Amino acid sequence: MMMTVSTELTIGIVAFYLVMIIGIGYYGYRRTKKVEDYMVAGRNTHPVIIALSYGATFISTSAIIGFGGTSAQYGMSLMWLTVLCIVVGVIIAFICMGKRIRRIGKDLGALTYPELLGKMYGSKKIIYATGAIFVAAMPLYTAAVLIGGARFIETTLGIPYMTALLGFAGVVALYVVIGGLMAVMYTDAVQGAIMLVGMGVLLVLTYIYLGGVTAANSALDSMGSLVPSTLSSMGMTGWTSMPEFGSPIWMTVITTLVLGVGVGVLAQPQLAVRFMTAKDGKSLNRAIPIGALFIVMMTGVAFTVGPLTNVYFMDTVGMLAIDAAGGNADSIIPLYINSAMPELFVIIFMLTLLSAAMSTLSSLLHTMGTTLGGDIFARMKGVRYSIRANQIGIVVMMIASVILAVMMPGSIIARATAMFMGLCTAALLPAFVHGITSKNPSYLAAKWSMTAGAGGWLLWAVFCHLAESKMLGICHALFGVDSLVSSPWCYLDPLVVGVVLSVTILLVLIPMDKHKITHEDQMRLT
Amino acid sequence: MLGISDPWVWMTYLICLIALLFCGIYGYINWNKDSDDDDGKH
Repeated sequence: MMMTVSTELTIGIVAFYLVMIIGIGYYGYRRTKKVEDYMVAGRNTHPVIIALSYGATFISTSAIIGFGGTSAQYGMSLMWLTVLCIVVGVIIAFICMGKRIRRIGKDLGALTYPELLGKMYGSKKIIYATGAIFVAAMPLYTAAVLIGGARFIETTLGIPYMTALLGFAGVVALYVVIGGLMAVMYTDAVQGAIMLVGMGVLLVLTYIYLGGVTAANSALDSMGSLVPSTLSSMGMTGWTSMPEFGSPIWMTVITTLVLGVGVGVLAQPQLAVRFMTAKDGKSLNRAIPIGALFIVMMTGVAFTVGPLTNVYFMDTVGMLAIDAAGGNADSIIPLYINSAMPELFVIIFMLTLLSAAMSTLSSLLHTMGTTLGGDIFARMKGVRYSIRANQIGIVVMMIASVILAVMMPGSIIARATAMFMGLCTAALLPAFVHGITSKNPSYLAAKWSMTAGAGGWLLWAVFCHLAESKMLGICHALFGVDSLVSSPWCYLDPLVVGVVLSVTILLVLIPMDKHKITHEDQMRLT
Repeated sequence: MLGISDPWVWMTYLICLIALLFCGIYGYINWNKDSDDDDGKH
């Protein structure tokens, strides 16, 4: 990415920004007195901070740059992801799940997602199994966020990549380690506010430049005949229309992007923990309008401006956005910002991206670190959570993520991110929902639902879904083909298969289980 | 609608707007509710 503002000005503003963020992190540290403060921000967080922290954690740099670029290629059909983000990621997440998660978390004294899930089923095995999934797979997602952030800092500030990577990781680790979740959430809130301003201005300026809402959309609407033949043969019909039902692009857009992210949001541990930081249900009620506005502004603007960049580049250089960006979808949004926006906005957008990267990274670090330090290490040693154990956990997980970021190619990590989210959803979501909605949940049903979800997801990913099976190569080695199923099924995301299996097993086994978990069973597990 | 001809696409903007309104109204109506739901039941 290339920013066109002067380096001195950029460095000055970034330095001021970093000092401000570290200062807020220090404020969080000063307010952290006991382990509950460190893990769940004292269960007394302000609604605005909950809403902005939830949104800023959810939306990473890749959601703006990566998905914005993807929508420039596939069009406004990705707006269905915004619909799911607000309906599932805010309305269902806050109203149906958030209040229960908060109440049960407090009732059972749970401080982390694995502990909450384990305590709901009175099972240490579930704590360890969930913790192991997070510790093994979450560094891949974290590495992807690290790489995105470091690449962005490298090109914006003109510093070497490794310096950017280590500096970015070091600054975020500093305030997460010392200040715990309070520091994470306070910094998230400020970063979320910056993101809100940045995306709001981007939308307004884009429509002003393109002659107004109707004129800009109409111009894009009339570009349907310019869809590249490679995409039209796969079902794409235009940038303001849905792909053909059941076509490969429809499968990708709907099952991977829309369902994968839109439903996957419910299974993200770093988001579920936000509900446990609320003092009461009232705080969550008050957080809902701000959370909804934030999510719509982030994803909705990215999926609207992304496709509209085609109009801009066609007008200015006579090319589609993807061609203007040299075939790299990730470069479309940065190229558009640099080409079309005033210098002041380039700086605002730079801070928007930096905020998106830092807020997601800090939350992932905290979740991974507390899982390793608290759920696994401290529990195995037979001691209750300690701040020190969690701090060590955060440092270890950060080092693991940095090593991964250095060693693994970006393309594999990006795919691994989607795989982590899919696995979390398929394996954990049905059991988690059963746990928070049932007074006497079934351990038997949850155990087999998690196993079936993870197994189904894994088998489909390894042998059927082209995006993973081709990369892994196991299917080709055993059967001589990249996928055992034909088009369009080879584009069906493993998440769908895993969730269908885990939900079916859960629904079949719940009525068969005669030994449901009681509240006493739940309270017995310390 | 607003330059977008496919109803399956412009409908998404409408749904988002309705969902935003719902969230605003929900937050307003329940502004002071659920403050003492710590009865240990679930």
